Amino acid sequence: MSQKKSSEKRTLHKELDHKLRVYSDITQLIASPENPTPLVRLNRINPNKDFPIYLKLERYNPFGSVKDRIVYEMLRGLEIENRTLVEPSSGNTGIALACIANVLGVPVEIAVPEAIPNEKKVMLRLLGAKLWEAADELCPRFPSEGARGVVDGLIKSPATKDKYISPNQYENELNVQAHYRTTGPEIWKQTRGKINYFFAGFGTCGTITGVGRYLKEQNPKIRIIGVEPSSPNHRLPGMKRITGLDEEFVPRILDRSVIDDSVEVTDEDAYRTAIELARKDGIPAGPTTGAILYVALHYAESNTGLAVVISPDDAFKYASFYLDIFEAQEGKVRGEKYERV
Amino acid sequence: MREYDLCDLVCPLSKIKATELIESLSEGETVKIILGDADSLKSVAQELKSRGIKPGFEQDGESKFILTISRG
Repeated sequence: MSQKKSSEKRTLHKELDHKLRVYSDITQLIASPENPTPLVRLNRINPNKDFPIYLKLERYNPFGSVKDRIVYEMLRGLEIENRTLVEPSSGNTGIALACIANVLGVPVEIAVPEAIPNEKKVMLRLLGAKLWEAADELCPRFPSEGARGVVDGLIKSPATKDKYISPNQYENELNVQAHYRTTGPEIWKQTRGKINYFFAGFGTCGTITGVGRYLKEQNPKIRIIGVEPSSPNHRLPGMKRITGLDEEFVPRILDRSVIDDSVEVTDEDAYRTAIELARKDGIPAGPTTGAILYVALHYAESNTGLAVVISPDDAFKYASFYLDIFEAQEGKVRGEKYERV
Repeated sequence: MREYDLCDLVCPLSKIKATELIESLSEGETVKIILGDADSLKSVAQELKSRGIKPGFEQDGESKFILTISRG
């Protein structure tokens, strides 16, 4: 058998056809304008018919979150050579990175905050990633982000710097580019340009900057609303409180010029909204979706227009966090933080 | 006395390594840990304080810090 025939045999189809859904590797499922994640209207949790809210369900990416997009984009622009990939992550970026690194056959290490859900740690171990579990206060150079400190240490220490490479989602413009190139155009196309409000959380700030920039270019009147935890000590993995943060720790890729409003949300409101979303509209989402949706529902009380809310991931990775709430409600444990949820 | 030069590790890797060394000390053992930057010194000192260990301290030049640590 010739080399050409052998190669043809390994590939079922020459062209990528999302209608057939036959792929030559798992990364081809990552969302794009040709293969968007779904927009789903919320019919019961939102009583205002003049302010329809659509959730952009990023869980439908192959590795389960919005981070699949940015990891793919960042790795496309990275010369890994013989080095190990390393990245700080509250879980979703790490999972996407580990999956794509496995596709590429590249070793991967993830620095995670101690407080992320066990479900995410188990998933990272399942994928073969080495975990660095870091206390938030590990290093004075990164006062509340020990995981970022670990990766910075690995990249800068003379003893380790040649062995590691980091995509660095906090500073990598390709993080923004992924959303400018895919998520933004998807939303614009899916809403037929009728979107009036876009809601997203502050984290690395890639989503809000990339989508916000794209949408503002299509229609400067679209309002971009950012959501942040009301306290630096929160239980919303992946979200970051920007207000009051020293400028050196604000993600460099954040473009404040595209943001019209930023709103704070408590853990209680975020979890309560996520639970209500599951029970009223049948969508089990992570607590960050609850946080962002809480703000959109608040807007719905006094505005009209079409809103899109980013739903970064699903509820399954946070089962243990939700269990804490239910046990607190049932009086099984003293759950001071969640008694009101 | 065993001596560990951690100058090629910046914080927090220096702290992580120093913590491993502290935890591996046997009863009555004394070691020297050499750190190469002020942040490493600050975070390792913090770790020692949280464990109730008071180290000996010397400074060699502007950015070489030597901690002598004993497990009593």
